[in-house]
Amino acid sequence: MNQAPIISDNGSGFSKIGFAGNSDPSFVFPTAIATREVATGASTVRGATPASRGSNLASKRGIEDLDFHIGDEAMANSKTYGIHYPIRHGMIENWDHMERYWEQSIFKYLRAEPEDHYFLLTEPPLNAPENREQTAEIFFESFNVPGLYIAVQAVLALAASWTSNQATDRTLTGTVVDSGDGVTHVIPCAEGYVIGSAIKHIPIAGRDITAFVQTLLRERGETVNIPPEDQLKVAQKIKESYSYVCQDIVKEFRKYDADPYKYFQRYDGEHSVTGRKYSIDVGFERFLAPEIFFNPEINSSDFLTPLPIVVDDVIQASPIDVRRGLYKNIVLSGGSTMFKDFGRRLQQDLKIVVDRRIQNSEAAAGTNLKSTGVDVNVISHKRQRYAVWYGGSLLASLPDFYTSCHTKAQYDEIGPSICRRYQIFGSVN
Amino acid sequence: MILLESHSTIILNTLTEKFTNPSTIDIQFVDYDGVRFHLHTPDRKKTEILLSMSIRCWGELVRYGALDVIGREYGPYVAPTVEPGYDVSLAFDTNNVPQGEDQVAFIKSVALLKRNALAAPFERAFAEQKALESTPAPTDGSPRAQGQLMQIHYRDEEAIYVRASHDRVTVVFSTIFKEETDRIFGKVFLQEFVDARKLASLQTAPQVLYSNRDPPLEIRHLPGLKNTEDVGYVTFVLFPRHFSALTAEETISRIQLFRDYLHYHIKCSKAYMHSRLRHRVTEFLKILNRAKAENLGEKERKTVTGRTFSAR
Repeated sequence: MNQAPIISDNGSGFSKIGFAGNSDPSFVFPTAIATREVATGASTVRGATPASRGSNLASKRGIEDLDFHIGDEAMANSKTYGIHYPIRHGMIENWDHMERYWEQSIFKYLRAEPEDHYFLLTEPPLNAPENREQTAEIFFESFNVPGLYIAVQAVLALAASWTSNQATDRTLTGTVVDSGDGVTHVIPCAEGYVIGSAIKHIPIAGRDITAFVQTLLRERGETVNIPPEDQLKVAQKIKESYSYVCQDIVKEFRKYDADPYKYFQRYDGEHSVTGRKYSIDVGFERFLAPEIFFNPEINSSDFLTPLPIVVDDVIQASPIDVRRGLYKNIVLSGGSTMFKDFGRRLQQDLKIVVDRRIQNSEAAAGTNLKSTGVDVNVISHKRQRYAVWYGGSLLASLPDFYTSCHTKAQYDEIGPSICRRYQIFGSVN
Repeated sequence: MILLESHSTIILNTLTEKFTNPSTIDIQFVDYDGVRFHLHTPDRKKTEILLSMSIRCWGELVRYGALDVIGREYGPYVAPTVEPGYDVSLAFDTNNVPQGEDQVAFIKSVALLKRNALAAPFERAFAEQKALESTPAPTDGSPRAQGQLMQIHYRDEEAIYVRASHDRVTVVFSTIFKEETDRIFGKVFLQEFVDARKLASLQTAPQVLYSNRDPPLEIRHLPGLKNTEDVGYVTFVLFPRHFSALTAEETISRIQLFRDYLHYHIKCSKAYMHSRLRHRVTEFLKILNRAKAENLGEKERKTVTGRTFSAR
């Protein structure tokens, strides 16, 4: 009897793990492992206890390899243990730590016997096939899983958008705008395959927005009321609960000036240690915070290309025959795309860029032929925050999932190289 | 983490959150040995939560008194009608669950639902042993009476056998190793289990016997036992000191997770071996890198324009 497949989306910041068929992951915690080892990398300190106590193995070797914590518990134990992050930039760097991380997330948190469940794992775009083979080795040899499917995160984000009422058909062609805490990626996919050469990264994401909110508060002098140790938390809270994307920044400023009482809001906080109450005004940062995606120059001069232009560049860099599909299906994923009206603004700005290009080319052609225009469609949906995990949960609930998996029998027959093959399923093309 | 915990973390986390701010939920998850849970708010009402559990050996557990244990632990919260497709349901309204300290204890006890269901046969065996102990030995030399042999088929091909006699309770686990490597690891591990007991500090631990392939005498008469290489039998002999009033709860929690504990540690040992292998490979690579011949003889030759021919 096969039980619900396990979906494990291990990102560089957080891991999202849970069972297929649910709408939210069962656990979301940092991809961190706390161990007793002093040195990073391959562990050098091994059970050095003398073997004088007996002849059996148990007394010869310590149990250091079992003495570790993962996730939130790792963070809680950061004083006595060393914290390691086995995933850097989406790629697994330390396989020893990752193997133990998986071991504990399966046995302690999910409480599942890996031999009974199929697994769906995720990988970043442009992941080296060697990494995929290593993963397969761990899952088939250490855990004896019956079947494994490794999916690209961007493709799962596309699958998650099928539930949106804006989505027209179940296609795996589209552009994914994935914005988490550290970095924002724009990834074009054609029929389930990532167009690697056209991927672009933007160094603006959740962390930068929080920092920007903090600067705005400081410049307005609101921070005198906030205890210093709470400032980051308050900025995060304002970003998450009060911010939205405006359609026209000048009009928005005018609206606020005309009727500040209507638009300014109060944030009431409590000092986390002393319990003292404080209250601050939340003003322009409500719409200015996410504005750094569309006008990056208001924050810093390091990166100046607005998000709609980057998306347009990415699509223009893709093969010409898929561009229409890429414009038609732009999908948002990750926590930093959760701002209200984010999708609408992106669509509006991108549409202007696209229409201007069409006009120019019509003028350059000099004939009376008119273009039929290009559909620009940005899809936002309710599951954006954990879109990748949710997409995995959707795909793993399909009956095709079991036939698309790499099975233990195949692994035993051929070896880890089976994971170089990547089979897409579930889309209607 | 050496020991596995007996409570379900998902139940613990979800209920702690939902009791403080109720909202609709619908989640399905599992526990060891094919136990399935469904936690949801059935009528779209945020306060009424229904937790259902399906467990493979429910029929057997009911025969050994699981309903009594569940009734004792959860009393008013046991739902009168069981959700279709599941074996037991608990229903609670977040408005009338215990508050404060009691709530923490209550959530904890709900998270132990699977453990409590599986505890029934063990509790029965401990009670039987007490009863048998108080009946005097037959004077005519015939063997003393034994409790019934309880079989719990908690997985497809694996079972726990529990039997009480006048001075002990014997618990036999049968387990299947799906893979050759696992079988070897399991064998070494279980041998260690037997050996480690010889340590002076572990003299009070229950006696452990391990046999591969041949079922122990206690259950040899049973029909349908597999007699293949990949089966292992582990026998624990529990003496009354292991299930005195103070320790009985702990013993039950530990022993019913034994099979998962064993398989968890086999996987841990493999992970440990793998990390040793990786370590060794990096060491070898260092040596190999040192062994590279230095390019002493040839001098770098340049063209007139200053380019080199160095091979890359």
